[in-house]
Amino acid sequence: MMSILAVLLENMGCSCSRPHSFNEADTEENVQAAEIERRIAQETKAEQHIHKLLLLGAGESGKSTIFKQIKLLFQNGFDAAELRSYTSVIHANVYQTIKILYDGAKELAQSESNSSILYDEAKELPQSESNSSKYEISPENKEIGEKLSEIGSRLDYPLLTKELANEIKILWEDAAIQETYSHGNILQVPDCAQYFMENLERLSEVDYVPTKDDVLNARVRTTGVVEIQFSPVGENRKSGEVYRLYDVGGQRNERRKWIHLFEGVTAVIFCAAISEYDQMAFEDEKKNRMMDTKELFEWVLNQACFEKTSFMLFLNKFDIFEKKVQKVPLSVCEWFKDYQPMASGKQEVEHAYEFVKKKFEELYFQSSKPDRVDRVFKIYRTTALDQKLVKKTFKLVDETLRRRNLIEAGLL
Amino acid sequence: MAHCAITGACPSDYVAVAISLLSLILLIVRALLPFISKKGPKVKISGVWLMIAQIVGSISLILSLVMSINFLTLKHKDPWRSCYIWAVWAEGPFGFGLLMSCRIVRAFQLYHVFVKRRLPPIRPSVLLTLILIPWIGGAAFLHMNKPLNHRCHMRTQWVIPIVCIHGFYLAALIGITRTVHHIEFRFHEFKDLLQGIIVSSVAIALWIGAYVLNEVHEDISWIQVCSRFLLLVTASVLVLVFFSMSLSQPLSYQISLRKRESSKVMTMRQALGIPESRLIIQTTTASAIDLNQPLDKLLENKRFRHSFMVFADSCLAGESVHFYEEVHELSNIPVDDPVRRIYMARHIIEKYIAAGAEMEINISHRTRQEILGTPDLTHPDLFNCAVAEVMQLMKTNLAREFWSSMQFVKFKEENSKQLHNMEPAGWDCSERVSCVRCTDDPFNQEHLQHCSSGNQYNV
Repeated sequence: MMSILAVLLENMGCSCSRPHSFNEADTEENVQAAEIERRIAQETKAEQHIHKLLLLGAGESGKSTIFKQIKLLFQNGFDAAELRSYTSVIHANVYQTIKILYDGAKELAQSESNSSILYDEAKELPQSESNSSKYEISPENKEIGEKLSEIGSRLDYPLLTKELANEIKILWEDAAIQETYSHGNILQVPDCAQYFMENLERLSEVDYVPTKDDVLNARVRTTGVVEIQFSPVGENRKSGEVYRLYDVGGQRNERRKWIHLFEGVTAVIFCAAISEYDQMAFEDEKKNRMMDTKELFEWVLNQACFEKTSFMLFLNKFDIFEKKVQKVPLSVCEWFKDYQPMASGKQEVEHAYEFVKKKFEELYFQSSKPDRVDRVFKIYRTTALDQKLVKKTFKLVDETLRRRNLIEAGLL
Repeated sequence: MAHCAITGACPSDYVAVAISLLSLILLIVRALLPFISKKGPKVKISGVWLMIAQIVGSISLILSLVMSINFLTLKHKDPWRSCYIWAVWAEGPFGFGLLMSCRIVRAFQLYHVFVKRRLPPIRPSVLLTLILIPWIGGAAFLHMNKPLNHRCHMRTQWVIPIVCIHGFYLAALIGITRTVHHIEFRFHEFKDLLQGIIVSSVAIALWIGAYVLNEVHEDISWIQVCSRFLLLVTASVLVLVFFSMSLSQPLSYQISLRKRESSKVMTMRQALGIPESRLIIQTTTASAIDLNQPLDKLLENKRFRHSFMVFADSCLAGESVHFYEEVHELSNIPVDDPVRRIYMARHIIEKYIAAGAEMEINISHRTRQEILGTPDLTHPDLFNCAVAEVMQLMKTNLAREFWSSMQFVKFKEENSKQLHNMEPAGWDCSERVSCVRCTDDPFNQEHLQHCSSGNQYNV
């Protein structure tokens, strides 16, 4: 009991929580001690209801999107000022995306022409005049491309005007760019690329205010730690369940900061983007993202602080996974190399998903020591952009945590 | 007396062995002292292995002298007493060779960084192994041919090539040192190299002298005893002098060593003597700063930057602001001072860019590789891409919440003369974590983890 108290008292140093004042000027010692005890018990009971949730996962796995969804669902959502503040972010995403695609197309065209020159030399064939690679951008669009690439490398991006939006659209529709996009797994193309490119006209309106969906799709690389406190409003409003949710950055350098958050965690929501099995990490292009997630998950599971912590694994980006698994086989990822495709179409997707889920389950049971078998472990299929699905998923998470809470308190 | 000259264990021998033991202990103490005395910054093994290699080399060299020149009476056929282990292997590849190679590796690194202005292409451990290969080859060759007699002496025709290889490495060290002699180092690197050259030349001269005396006057016992004694004592002293702390420490650690008296850690800027930016003089007299400017303009103001830095540290995102500040300091060094620029650039790379660095920033792989593989460390645009990415991070993550944070309110109070229009829209608790009471600054890691797993995640 005293150790729990010590831990709670330590966590209570926050200026956001209620202040913690003892009145120590009472005369009778016994009355004073009893009063203090009563207050401690009260505060403890109140604090015990604040459950600490951590959103962990590799870079671009969807943690911040889930965080935004929770804000939308259980807090006051986004007010007009906050929505408008996302305009610059969305415009930045557009510029960055088109720059990545243009530079990527140039590089791919260059490397293809290099290898074809080498091939011609090796075979002693006459070098063909027009090494027209499929990544070669048409000449009339090259100028636009150079201009947009220069804009994308500035510190401050210009406002997205109709003119610029048109140019971006022209470049986006170039065959080479489309080809580059379909082979975009070796580049660092954000997932929101398609969505924003299709909505360019709307984004470049003079009085553009981002919609909820725009905000959810916007890509912001998180650094440091963000938190919110919320209460999932259930049927019983007096339940007093309060959650404090922490969002972190997922890149390798951000992971050294996670350790500061590991104490007293009720549940870890680990986000794994299952659509990234053929992509490389942002901070290390030699590392496959799925392998990175696998190692990270293992590391998190083995943390000493998480002995009694529940684990909710969100297998995220299912919508992208659905489309990708039919074009790119799962076996390109080393972890999934024993995958055998069975059918095609919808069944194939389900089969692939079940395979991935099984792999994660195996990993969990391999990595968990025998004394930790009684901790809760649940897997959820999510698409963080889908509000209804996230709401449903979180309801299930909430139920699970409440049940576990009651079990802990010995009431079940 | 005549007896002990041949079998060893004369009184002078024991004295010499005691002195050598003392010098080894002093050496180890000298090496470990900075780590024990002050709470210096954590130094990883990868940072100090050159120092460990030096210690191993020194011990090995002394031991080889002791064991191979009959200082102690041990039974002849004792496996410990094998001449080849001590006189060949311990003296060559693991003794003198190792010591010289460490110095050569260091000189090579300095040459690469300061003369060719790029980061060394080969990792120092690989380079050290490569340089040691001739020694290992020579030792193996000797071991196979077994030219040593039972007193661990060899004939003149074998000694000449051995002296040659010792001299060759010394010449290589002198050669590389000459290429950097025109650089104005700031942390005694050149003095260390010179010291190494002088010490090794003296050692070789002594060794040749002792050998000649021993061979020429083999029958005069007091010469034997004397030369033995002198050889071991001077070798012990030289080994102690040869040892250099600065070979492998990260530069910031060296700075903290120099300022051992003052408790605060010196920044690199102070250590290099870079003057503070002139902008500070301007902004302290200006009445108010225009808070409507974009973030990159605002960050040029020192007080704003510090307030922002404190806020960022509290949200565990401080490394971006620290990086921005140090790059700003780098840009204050004039272009015609390449040596200081190189020191600062190397410091920034070690602290913020290298994978696994203590305050590694969040940049893309491509940007990182461009910086690490740059052909010119003094280039003024070296960190531009990284700064652009970091600025984007700061704008999208930190800027909005800064306006409603405690640090900003304090800043406005201090800047209260003529405030520009912006009133904070009712300050409520910032979304950024205010509960986590720890900074991202590794120098102040007093925050104890009760149940930390101990090792940082370093994939």
